[in-house]
Order: sequence, then C-alpha cells, then structure tokens
Amino acid sequence: MACSKENKAFIHKYLDEELTLLEKKQFENHILTCGDCYEHLRELRKTVAIIQSTSHIEAPSSLTANVMKQLPKQSKSNKWKFWMKKHPFMITAATFFFVFIVSVASALSGENEEIVVQGDGQFIVDKERNVVVIPEGESISGDLLIRNGNIEISGEVLGDITVINGEHVMASTDQVSGDINEINQTMELIWYEMKSFFSDVVDLSDNESNAENQKED
Amino acid sequence: MDIIVRKIILEVKKGNQQAFAELMDLYKDKVYHIAYRMLGNVHEAQDVSQEAFLRAYTNIDSYDMNRKFSTWLFRIATNLAIDRIRKKKPDFHLEDQVAGTEDLTYYTQISADEELPEDQVVQLEMQEWIQQEVMQLPPKYRSAIILKYLQDLSLKEISEILNLPVATVKTRIHRGREALRKRLRNS
Ligand SMILES: [Zn+2]
Repeated sequence: MACSKENKAFIHKYLDEELTLLEKKQFENHILTCGDCYEHLRELRKTVAIIQSTSHIEAPSSLTANVMKQLPKQSKSNKWKFWMKKHPFMITAATFFFVFIVSVASALSGENEEIVVQGDGQFIVDKERNVVVIPEGESISGDLLIRNGNIEISGEVLGDITVINGEHVMASTDQVSGDINEINQTMELIWYEMKSFFSDVVDLSDNESNAENQKED
Repeated sequence: MDIIVRKIILEVKKGNQQAFAELMDLYKDKVYHIAYRMLGNVHEAQDVSQEAFLRAYTNIDSYDMNRKFSTWLFRIATNLAIDRIRKKKPDFHLEDQVAGTEDLTYYTQISADEELPEDQVVQLEMQEWIQQEVMQLPPKYRSAIILKYLQDLSLKEISEILNLPVATVKTRIHRGREALRKRLRNS
C-alpha cells in the first residue's frame, strides 16, 4: 500500500536532513511500521549512492591547446587601453585632458556617490545593494550608462553598456547585443570621457591611429 | 576566493592569455565532466567545454571577483550544454527519449591491447549503465542531479549556476532522483 503524500514528502526532507528534531523522530517512528516508506527511503539512498559512484573523468589533453588557438587577437581598443596605462600623459589630444579631469575628479572623489542611470526601459534601482537590476522579461532598447553602482542583467539590453565605478553580472552572454565597458580606473574614465567627447566633436579614428603610431616608436 | 585563482584571474583580466591557460588547467576536468554527463557524448562534451572557456575568456570583464569563479564558469558551461540539447532534440520528452548511447563506450578510451581485470570491466559497464540512466532524465532534472551529486555543489551554488530559486532546485533534485529511483528499480 502506498503511504500518504505527506510522508512521501518527508522522505525527501529526511534524506536532505531538513527535518526538525521532532519531525525526524516522528518520521523514524513511522518508518519502522510502514514498509512502503521504508522501502522507498532505502531505494532512494541506493539511487544516490549509485549516482555518486560515477568516476570523475578527465578532459582530453588537447582541450587547452584548442582553446588557446582560438583566443581572439588583442583588439584595437584593448591595445589602446594598454597604451593608455603605460603612457598616461602622452596623449595626443592633451588639450582636452584638462577639460575632463574636472568632471573625472568629481566622479571619482566620492562627492557624487548617487547611482546615476541613463537608459530607455524598465529597471529597478536597489539603493541598499547599490545595484541596478534589469529584471527578467524587460528590455532596454538603447545604450545604458550606470555610474557609481553595479548592474545585474536578467532581461535584455540591445545597446552598449557602460558601467562607471561598478561591475556587471549577467545570467548569460546572450542578453547584451552591444559592447560592455566597465570603467573603474581614473585613466580609463578619462579615456571614456574623452572618447565620448571626441565622438561628438571630432572623428575619433584619426586620434586612434595617431596613438597606434606612437606605440610603435 | 582562493588567492591563487584570484591572482590568475586578475592577470587574465589584464589580457594575459598565458594566465588563462593556467586557469583552464584548474577547471577543465570539472567543466568537461559536467558537459559529458549532460550530453553523454565525448565529442560534444569537448566542443561545449571549449566553447565555454572561449566565452569565459571573452567575457572575463563581466566576471565579478566577489563571486566564486567556478559558479560563473559552470553556469556558462551548463547553459551551453542545455542549448545544445535543445537544438538537438526540439521535442524532448522523458517518454520518447531514446537512450543517448552513441559514442558512450568507455572501452574506446582504453587501448585495445590492454588487458582489463574482471572487476574493472564490471566497473566500466556499471559506469556506462549509470550514464545511460542519467541521460534518460529530462535536461532540467539532469543538470540539477549532476551538479548536486557529481560535482557535490551546495543548493545555493546550484541555484546560482542554473539561475533558479533554491526551492526550484530542490524540487528538481527530488523529481530527478525519484525518476532515477523508478528506473533503477525496474532494471
Ligand atoms: Zn509511510
């Protein structure tokens, strides 16, 4: 005879050691008189033991080499970043440097610690955790900018994401169609501010190739 | 997090590809193991593992150092494996699933001239049989069972890897082991 649903649920809780001391005692008493539950528990224990007896297997030795071969060559923007770090003051457009250092300083000094979010769509700002959440099912149609906070993406972002003074966490890599930038260092932030300024004012590619040339020197 | 892993990841984040090779050496067996148990096929397991590491490399900037690296990595690998299963079998049902036994021979991994002692043969047959039984589970139960019983992960970690509430993970483990119990009893 099959036992009650409640007792069947207890079997799993018993197995997972989730019963209170009293429940555990009661269930153990029950099991001594109920052949059905006793057998059920015994089979489950055996099942778990069998599953756990599978041996760990090793990855094929070619795996690491195969991946290493496929790693992307360093991108242009990446080179730029390295170059910026090595020669932070040899910026071709030095004139613009001072214009932005002001806004950068205020952004990094902690005077302005409020989370700033710029984007089109539904999102939640969790002030306690300092996190901007894009909930599941929600979609941000354009670019997204977050300052002084982290971002958690369960929904979808169609544009680029820029996180200043924060980090981002995603459920899967498919959720963001554009690029993701995290800016946490002064130099990177200056570069970002300059880049967005340039893209409004002058053609950026010229400056980039200048910098590339300097790097060769 | 482990200080060694932390240091390696910081190097990877800077773009050091050699450090990434080191990172792979630490995790490749576990990633491959998950992929193999999910897919039951050595070629697909290798494919998915490689893809998982490539994605980890290209998205390393999005990895939050405050979280466990393995959780993040296993999540990528598990998602890829589940995607692969979905593409392979658009209408997946427990009832009409045919055993995914192709390519499953552990024997092929052992050179032919090697004599196997009797108990090792039994062990191999047992392993093969268990894998077949695990493959009969619907992918959502399979992933929960693999992470819990083969990787020995906590419910919290599994919930993070599968992006599900802990309660849902529990239900899947319960149903998964119930299904396995019934199958093992009838075999
Ligand atoms: Zn009972």
